Amino acid sequence: MLWYKAWLETRWRFVFMVGMILFVWLTPEWITATGVHSGVPAARLWMAIQLGSVFLFIFTAIFLAGSGINTQGAYTFTPGFHGSMLFTLSLPVSRRRLLFVRGGLGALQTCILVVIMACYILHLRPEATSVLQTLAYLARTIVCTMAIYALSVLLACVLDEIWHVTGAFIFWIAVFLVQSKFDWVARISPLRGMSLNCYPITAPIPWAPIVASLVFAGVLLCASVLMVQRQEY
Amino acid sequence: MNDIIIAADGLSKSYDGKPALRSLHLEVPRGSICGFLGRNGAGKTTTLKLLLGLLRRDAGSIRLFGEPIDSEASSIGARRRLGFVSEDKELYPFMTVDQTIRFTRPFFPGWRRDLEEKYLDLFQLPRKKAVPKLSKGMRTQLMLLLAMARGAELLLMDEPTSGLDPAMTEDVLQILADLAASDGTTIFFSSHQLAEVEQICDRVCIIDQGQVVIDGVLDDLKSEYRRILLVFDGMAPRELAGLPGVDHLRQRGRTASLLAHGDVDGLVERARSLGPTSVEVRPVTLKELFLDHVRGE
Repeated sequence: MLWYKAWLETRWRFVFMVGMILFVWLTPEWITATGVHSGVPAARLWMAIQLGSVFLFIFTAIFLAGSGINTQGAYTFTPGFHGSMLFTLSLPVSRRRLLFVRGGLGALQTCILVVIMACYILHLRPEATSVLQTLAYLARTIVCTMAIYALSVLLACVLDEIWHVTGAFIFWIAVFLVQSKFDWVARISPLRGMSLNCYPITAPIPWAPIVASLVFAGVLLCASVLMVQRQEY
Repeated sequence: MNDIIIAADGLSKSYDGKPALRSLHLEVPRGSICGFLGRNGAGKTTTLKLLLGLLRRDAGSIRLFGEPIDSEASSIGARRRLGFVSEDKELYPFMTVDQTIRFTRPFFPGWRRDLEEKYLDLFQLPRKKAVPKLSKGMRTQLMLLLAMARGAELLLMDEPTSGLDPAMTEDVLQILADLAASDGTTIFFSSHQLAEVEQICDRVCIIDQGQVVIDGVLDDLKSEYRRILLVFDGMAPRELAGLPGVDHLRQRGRTASLLAHGDVDGLVERARSLGPTSVEVRPVTLKELFLDHVRGE
């Protein structure tokens, strides 16, 4: 039943993201149909789509995370028992299970949307793409997005809704800025790992950002579990 | 079968070095309704949170249903047998009444459909209504339903009647009393409403500054404690404070008011030897017991 609760809790976020993807999906079609892009070089348009898609991956991962029990707290300034989180915590369920179910559903929703978006991006790509190239791109996009998702899960364990979203955005904006200054950050950055501008689909698989994202996500997930188990409510 | 449902011994908890509970000792027998009283910040909420496993204790031990609560697994086992009603009665805002019940039911193998139906009818809770659209009274009723239908052996409640109108308060108290009488459910609830506690509780536990100052059967406490009012010709003598059996003493000019327990007759005799012009011995109310112990006069 925790899955049921997690679905009821997140369904409108999921629907919102589907709506957002549809909007993004339809925009290039509209641009093509109306011809407003005439005069814009195809390469520049493709780059814009790429940048937009990376932003969309990040937004999806951050928006659909929120496995922290804190996110169920009520906004209140008086001491005592508050928020539906106390009802959750009074159930005979381990905190780790609470985290895994909520985090698992958010991850599943994120993966579904990322796959849909990635397939659409490939559909927009002018050149044909092989199945292997498609699978490799999907895999690295999912892994890199999970690194972003894992950070949001960790932040959601200690911060409430508004602050974990804000904190995650600030962190990834910082990474985006820092990766242009430091090569080693750029080599392992998940933001670059999911981008077809940085690693074209015909290029070899970018193992560095994939491995770094896997390690980053794993460490953050373990930290989230420890945090939730040790936290006092 | 263990007859002590809640047993806490030497329970201590500090927040940033500031003690909230100081070696608290508490015992609540099976089937009793125990009122947990104290001023704001006395440690009531901390105690409830420790019982639920929401906080880690600094020292001491907790046993629920006779089993030590020393791990998450043991806490989960205990939570399977208890119901909790929070002060603000917040449930999931994204669920309806029916969804909340269907969500809660599978966690409790002893869930009683008959009680679920009974309380749905009794409270007239609209199944399809979203939780945020329920009044506070209805949310209290829903939380009570969720706690009672799971077949809980113990109900932990934080201010169960706060925010309810007098009629609803009366209904809730009646249900709690019936539950304890018919099913033998143990009820442990914190409250500021002394009249409510006096109405339905058979036990009280008064806590002040993180320590239990009074704990016992309400009727026993009332028979054990006495108020002794003394009037003197001149100023009330200071020796009164040193008499054995005096719990609290209030002196105002020629009058002295003693809260005493134990050998009250012996104490009255000793007080008479100090030459009062008038001596009156009265039974005490719960309010007097509470105020004398938490004000520390």
